[in-house]
Amino acid sequence: MIVPMNVVLGLSALLFAIGAFGFLARRNIILMFISVEIMLTAINISLAGFSQHHGNLHGQVLALLVIAIAAAEAGIGLGLLIAKNRNKSGADVSDLIKLKW
Amino acid sequence: MSFDLATTAFYYMSGASVTSAILAVTRKNPVHSMLWVLALFMHVAGIFLILNAEFLAAVQVIVYAGAILIFYLFIVMLLDLTGEETRPRFGKHWPLAMGAGIFFIIIGLLTQVEPRRAEDLPPGNLAQVGEQLFGPFALPFEIISLVLLAAIIGAVVLARGRRAGS
Repeated sequence: MIVPMNVVLGLSALLFAIGAFGFLARRNIILMFISVEIMLTAINISLAGFSQHHGNLHGQVLALLVIAIAAAEAGIGLGLLIAKNRNKSGADVSDLIKLKW
Repeated sequence: MSFDLATTAFYYMSGASVTSAILAVTRKNPVHSMLWVLALFMHVAGIFLILNAEFLAAVQVIVYAGAILIFYLFIVMLLDLTGEETRPRFGKHWPLAMGAGIFFIIIGLLTQVEPRRAEDLPPGNLAQVGEQLFGPFALPFEIISLVLLAAIIGAVVLARGRRAGS
C-alpha cells in the first residue's frame, strides 16, 4: 500500500504541533524532554514518508540518524537533570531563575 | 479510494498516535505521561511498517520504547518527582482488563495462519538499509557514532558530580 504523501505530512505536522505545544505549555522538565521526543518522532514519520514517496532509502537512513540524536539528547538532558537535582530538588523549570535579572 | 486492511490500519494508527500524544502532553502525573508516550511510539512503529520501513519500526520499538523511554521512567522514579500515592494495587478496572486479555487470546486462537517460508519473502529492508548506511552514508554514520560517544562521556561527567574531580 502506498500512503498518500499529504496524509503522512499532515500526520507529521499534527504530531509536531502537539509536541511543540507540550514543550511550551509544560513546566516539568521531564515532560518538556518528552515533548521534544514527540517532535522528533513526528520528523521520523515524515522522513519515512519521503523515503516511500521517492522510492529510495535515504529518508529511512536519516531517520536512523535522528533516532541516534534523540538518544544522545535524552542521555545529556537527564544527566543535566541529575546534576541539577543534586543542588536543588524538583523538576520545575520555573524554579531555574538564577540567570534572570 | 478502495477499502483495504492496510488503509484502515494506517488511519487507526494515525488517530491513536495523535490521541496518545495529546494525552501524553496533558497528563499531570509524569509516569502516566510516559506510558502514553509508550503507546504513541508503538503506534508510530506500526506506521513505519505500513510505510515499508521494517528496520525503522524495529529500531523504534527497541531503541525508543525499549531504551530511551525506560531511561526517562528510571529518572522519574529515581528523582521521586511526585509524591508516592498509596492506592489499592488493582483498581475497579481489573474485570475489564481480564476481558480484554481473554478477547486477545480468542483472536489469537482464531487467526492461526500458515507460516510462510523465508525464501518466499522479498529481499529485506534491513539489507538495503545496511548497504545505504555503509555505502553513501558512511561518513554521517561515523559522525553519529562520535556524537553518541560524546553524549556517553558527557552524561557520565555531568551525573557523577564534582566529588571525584576536585
